[in-house]
Amino acid sequence: MVMSEKSANRVTNIFKAKEFGLFMILVVLSILIGIRNPIFFSFHNIIDIFRNTSYTLIIAVGMTFVLVAKGLDLSVGSMIAICGMVCALFLSWGYPIFFCILTGLLTGAAFGAINALCIVVFHIPSMIATLGCMYMARGLVLVVTKGAPVYPLPKEFVNLGTRTFFGVPFIVVLSFIICLVAHFVLNNTTYGRRIYAIGGNIETAKYAGINVAGTTASVYIISGVLAALSGIMTSARMGSGQPSVGDGTEMTVITAVIIGGTSLNGGVGTILGTALGALLTNVLSTGMNLVGISAYWQKFVTGLIIIVAVGIDQYQRRKVRS
Amino acid sequence: MTIVLEIKNVSKKFGPVTVFSHVNLSVEKGQIVALVGENGAGKSTLLNILGGVYPAGTYEGSIWIEGEEKRFRGEKDSKRAGIEMIHQEISIHLDLSVAENIFLGNLSNRKGFVSWKQVYLDAQNYLDIVKLNVDPHETARNLSTSQHQLLSIAKALASHPKILLFDEPTSALTEADAANLLEIIKGLQKRQITCLYISHRLEEVIHLADRIIVLRDGMLISDKPKNEITINQVIRDMVGRALDEMYPKQQITVGDEVLRVEGITVAHPYIAGKNIVEDISFSVSAGEILGVSGLVGSGRTETMDAIFGCSKRKSGKIYIQGAEVHIVRPSDAMKAGIGLVTEDRKRSGIIPTMSLRENMTIADLQAVSRMGLIQKNQERQLSQTYYDKLQIRATGIEDNILHLSGGNQQKVVLSKWLLKDIKVLILDEPTRGVDVGAKVEIYNVITDLARRGLAIVMVSSELTELMGMCDRLLVFSRGKIRGDFPRQEATQEKVMSAATCVDDLM
Repeated sequence: MVMSEKSANRVTNIFKAKEFGLFMILVVLSILIGIRNPIFFSFHNIIDIFRNTSYTLIIAVGMTFVLVAKGLDLSVGSMIAICGMVCALFLSWGYPIFFCILTGLLTGAAFGAINALCIVVFHIPSMIATLGCMYMARGLVLVVTKGAPVYPLPKEFVNLGTRTFFGVPFIVVLSFIICLVAHFVLNNTTYGRRIYAIGGNIETAKYAGINVAGTTASVYIISGVLAALSGIMTSARMGSGQPSVGDGTEMTVITAVIIGGTSLNGGVGTILGTALGALLTNVLSTGMNLVGISAYWQKFVTGLIIIVAVGIDQYQRRKVRS
Repeated sequence: MTIVLEIKNVSKKFGPVTVFSHVNLSVEKGQIVALVGENGAGKSTLLNILGGVYPAGTYEGSIWIEGEEKRFRGEKDSKRAGIEMIHQEISIHLDLSVAENIFLGNLSNRKGFVSWKQVYLDAQNYLDIVKLNVDPHETARNLSTSQHQLLSIAKALASHPKILLFDEPTSALTEADAANLLEIIKGLQKRQITCLYISHRLEEVIHLADRIIVLRDGMLISDKPKNEITINQVIRDMVGRALDEMYPKQQITVGDEVLRVEGITVAHPYIAGKNIVEDISFSVSAGEILGVSGLVGSGRTETMDAIFGCSKRKSGKIYIQGAEVHIVRPSDAMKAGIGLVTEDRKRSGIIPTMSLRENMTIADLQAVSRMGLIQKNQERQLSQTYYDKLQIRATGIEDNILHLSGGNQQKVVLSKWLLKDIKVLILDEPTRGVDVGAKVEIYNVITDLARRGLAIVMVSSELTELMGMCDRLLVFSRGKIRGDFPRQEATQEKVMSAATCVDDLM
């Protein structure tokens, strides 16, 4: 009796969850696109959408941590380039693959730490600090490479970008695992709870004995490392370190996270929402291509969707409060 | 006498919850009407309907101003009908000048150009009415809290209102400042301005109002002129039962010393070379409730923050049960067994994005986790226990904390510290913005904690509350302790003269 009540509750909770609405939009949108152009539902296309989503999603997970803690990280796009580049450079000098990947990840961590230092120690607003970091990282890439791509890269490394498990690309598996871990961390650990607390009300968090500086710093490092991972995988996929890669990606990522229901005001957001948001933005751009909407209109539609999504979210929140 | 405002058969629901039903009320011109009732009784909602915050169509019934039915679509409509609202949270633009604040959105201009000379002249006029003695050119940031409150009244007067709505205007003020404010409101009566007034401070209400209306559970319980009413009667109407004893103070044997602070000094945050807290020393024992009184800005809150490690001490030592503890951040204080309920619930007490459960366990996640993993069942059980124990009124522990009334929010904040095994609990204004019924419940919790052997420091602006609850009373003024009275010796006069430093004005 009690059990059935509980499971019934769980079912109604699924329908009530904000993510359910997002999921329904995704389904409806997919069907509409599929009707116009059946290619959309081809195995090849679906895998392609998941692959493209994964590169964004890995960074979006880090961004979710940052936004939940009421921060912002604009440097992720440049981080893709510099970390992918560092990894590629070491590879081209003949270092072992594992070492090169590690160096790339550490570069991400280091830039995350610089962001954290500026924000936590020098109290620079996160938008400004990471904006500065965005330009500095991009600048460094151009200084080191003089604008030229780094290649060729060893075959074993390039294989990482093309490798599949039963038809599923490695990057998709990787991003799925990252989402699972991140979801668990945010929901089930004291660390995750502290991030929500800091984003919800930093003063209360401080008075509750939470190490606000340390926790805040950690989310920027997580964001840096995940951006680095995405950058390294991008290098593998392209078979070279490209200096211009990831230009503007920060906006794509923030868009996905915000459509996924994470609030810029902090304290609110889920990994499931972020994953759906990332998928939705990708389905939308792929779908518009397949349906034959011009690339010029695509940007317009993306902008419109951000405003509508956040508008609906704000409306619901106001309703809850009154 | 002309009727200026009539509320006919007004009912208001939020979703399935009825806030109040079929309220009828008519108010004469120039009357001061007080609305009292427990939190959640519907007082603020009623004012918000009059203020246009809840537009016509979201409630049933009708509002009549000077015999004309009004349907406000928003706050602007309400203002146009001559209603001005003064909120509990003061909305002053800190970086604008006093005059600019008064005429904000209402600047007198000639063909689109502001005539500043006229603005400052007019501003002075309104400042005189509210007896606010500041330069109209002054930046609002440099004013005190009570001056801000006066400024917001001046601002309301600038649009020549017929009706002023006050939603707890004195809750952030000390008694002296509040008394001053009440005199000014009385003065408005001579200008034929009608006032509707919400307050939790009953003494103040009885003193001020011509008529007192009690709301309970969405019903108008009583509506009586001032001379037919007593405080006890009002309280009985509010809570629906007799309150023989507001303060459940019991004689508890005071045990050994638990907390001792010596020579706490804190530098002034804005003025270099000045101390906001200077050489404060005191001690509290197990089972003792130490009251701390003083005006806002006397250094009380800063002292408590310094003890808790939330602000930097210049000097000073802290001892727990005789052993010195080194506190540089709140987690150190918590480890030493100190808890702090902060003065401003909204700013530093609650986390608005979280449920009751999450709010309750946030200061002691260790208790509900193993190796960094939150044990959800354990967390639910623990928060449910305190939810029941403190009789928090909500739909359950998963309810969002913003859905709760002030008193119930405060109980959640309190339970945050009850979960922990603490030795000292510092309460800074534990009953601010809390209705009488919940106040008594909070007093009961505090008394219970003292009985369990906790040492309690209670900071408050309400003298009656301190004299009712505390064993000993410290009076802070200008960063120093100016008085130390045992319960029997503390009188209103003694405390006030110590708080205002009558004998050593510099």
